[in-house]
Amino acid sequence: MPKVLIVEDEPLIRLLLEQTLEGFEDHGVEVLTVDNGLDAVEMIRAERPALVLLDVMMPKMNGFEVCSFVKQQLHMNDVYIIMLTSKGQEQDKLKAIEAGTDEYITKPFSIQEVADRVAAALKIRI
Amino acid sequence: MIMSKLFKKTLLIIIVLFAVIALTTLISSGWNLYHDLTEEYKSKGTAIASSIAGSSVETLLNRDASTVQAMIDQFTEIIGVSYVFVVDAQGEIISHTFIPNVPDEILKIQTSKNVAPTDLHIRGRGDFIDISSPIVEGAVGYVHVGMDKGIIMSQLQAAMIRQIYLLSLIFIVSVAAAYVFVNRVSQPLNKLTEYSRKLAQHDFTAQVEIRSKDEVGLLADTMQSMAIELSEVFERYELALKDAIIELQNTLAYLTTVIDHMADGLLVSDIDGIITHVNPALSSMFGMRESDLMGKSCREVFGDDLAEIIQQSRRNPEAVYTTEIGLAGGRVGKAVATGIQHGYFPLEGTEKGIGSVILIRDITSEKEVDRMKTDFISTVSHELRTPLTSVKGFTEIIKKKLEEDILKLVVAHDRKSERAIKRVRDNINIILSESERLTTLIDDLLDIAKLESGKVVWKMERISINEVISRAHDATSALFDKKGLVFIRRIDESLPEFIGDRDKLIQVVINLLANAVKFTPAGTVTCSAVRRNGELLVSVIDSGIGIAEGDRASIFEKFKQAGDTLTDKPRGTGLGLPICKQIIEHHGGRIWVESETGKGSIFSFTLPLSIASPVEAAASMR
Repeated sequence: MPKVLIVEDEPLIRLLLEQTLEGFEDHGVEVLTVDNGLDAVEMIRAERPALVLLDVMMPKMNGFEVCSFVKQQLHMNDVYIIMLTSKGQEQDKLKAIEAGTDEYITKPFSIQEVADRVAAALKIRI
Repeated sequence: MIMSKLFKKTLLIIIVLFAVIALTTLISSGWNLYHDLTEEYKSKGTAIASSIAGSSVETLLNRDASTVQAMIDQFTEIIGVSYVFVVDAQGEIISHTFIPNVPDEILKIQTSKNVAPTDLHIRGRGDFIDISSPIVEGAVGYVHVGMDKGIIMSQLQAAMIRQIYLLSLIFIVSVAAAYVFVNRVSQPLNKLTEYSRKLAQHDFTAQVEIRSKDEVGLLADTMQSMAIELSEVFERYELALKDAIIELQNTLAYLTTVIDHMADGLLVSDIDGIITHVNPALSSMFGMRESDLMGKSCREVFGDDLAEIIQQSRRNPEAVYTTEIGLAGGRVGKAVATGIQHGYFPLEGTEKGIGSVILIRDITSEKEVDRMKTDFISTVSHELRTPLTSVKGFTEIIKKKLEEDILKLVVAHDRKSERAIKRVRDNINIILSESERLTTLIDDLLDIAKLESGKVVWKMERISINEVISRAHDATSALFDKKGLVFIRRIDESLPEFIGDRDKLIQVVINLLANAVKFTPAGTVTCSAVRRNGELLVSVIDSGIGIAEGDRASIFEKFKQAGDTLTDKPRGTGLGLPICKQIIEHHGGRIWVESETGKGSIFSFTLPLSIASPVEAAASMR
């Protein structure tokens, strides 16, 4: 049963992402959420999600750090990471790629785009 | 004593003249005298000969040689008579006065019956005139008298010498007279010369004492009055000059004061980039003393950036070049350089400019404000993004749920509920499109803030305009389809690749295409790319409503959309074209619009094709 982890400190955005991925639960996808980077690392290590939607700006540990820790320290390359960067912040995109992310979506995002990308990454047809 | 030049000339003329006169007089009088004396001697000789002939008939007939001898001997006493001899009819010499014997030349002529005087040269005795007179018509013989020519010559010589003495005397007297006369004329002239020399040395107090009434006196008077007038003129000019100098000094002092009290730094460099003038503001900006700056090379003191714009301004004095420059104490200055043109200083030279004037303003606080503004915009945009993402996302979810799950549950098909469904649907779409617009506005705001503050990372690489236009068209094709407009591509396929930022240029073309679609109700939108004057010229041509003349200049300014904001619905962020302008100018190109109200607009931009130019352009933009 594939798991998807949402890492987002803003409650409303977290809620929005949760609702966006509601439809995936019918396809046997389990949606997990955390609101900071440290918990995210713990959760990834414990749950081994198939996909992580990872926000950049977060307390304790930011998205880049989480991403590079998972990919480079834990060598969990089978975890597909989609980072949520801010549009127009060129440096963020570069940093995300350096950190080893698989993909990035710029904020503000369209929920349809998020749903499509997640579906593609999990090879699920909705 | 130095002879005056005038006298020298006069003397020369006198000598030449005198020589000619003396020579002609001598020759003519000598000739005349010679003639007269010869004639005199001839008649004298003839008289003697006839007298001898008359008185000696008897003697001759008697052939009394000794008597004849005695008679003829006495005639030789007469001055001029050199010899006398008598010949008989047979030509034999009866007697003669030759000592010791008759010379051969006499023997040759004695037989001659000719009685005309004959010139005769006797060797060893000299020249003679031989005069013969017949005795009894030649029946008895002839008397020959020889008159000595030597005496004629000596008399002639004596006369000539006398004449030469006389002429010399006249010559000396005339030279003396000429000297006195010339001196009298040249002395006042010398004085005048001396006087005019003094005048030439501006000594107007000098006096000349010539009281004569002739032309020289007149000239002296004229010169004196001229000198007085000259001195007055000089005095007037000197006064005027003094005034002018004072005025000039005042103006200069005024200008210097103005320059010295300028808040901006002023720097003047000559054609070789050597500092020729600085004001106190400039010295203190760089924390240097004026004496440390003067005469130094700009490149050496202020670095390459400033030296570069100075060089550019010199090459093109009409243009203004700017750069930023570090000041003392970590402050930042903006330098503006312009070339000094020949207008005020008509100098020769091949180069157009004769130097540069550079103004430097401390823009540290402006930069700080600018940075704060950029930071502010960036923070605000960031803060706005999160709620905006929620609004947009939740609305999308609401819409989806509404369409998929809720609306189909509505069973009542009365008009009221149908209208309510339409309202809800429309309003949700409005929320979505408005949040979309808000998103674009925030993105654009952030873009322009970053472009203006130079925080954009440019990815300059080799790109083709074909690709840029294709990708821009792909991104906007949905807009074309929605309005049913036709997109026409007119791209010169032979265009070379150039250096630019692909994504930014795609953004520009997308913006222009989206604008064209937005303002074209029906018809076509053409995108063309050609090479012109070594540049790439890209145009987006629409057949839309056009832009009123008054709006054309301002549409590239921030938040200046064409049209009246009170009556017209805003249709964009008002930042699209300013962003395009920033991007194109960063590439060293230009962007402009041509339009005719009701017929359409042409938005064009150029990009330099040479590889080096974008870098150079970027350098000049700093």
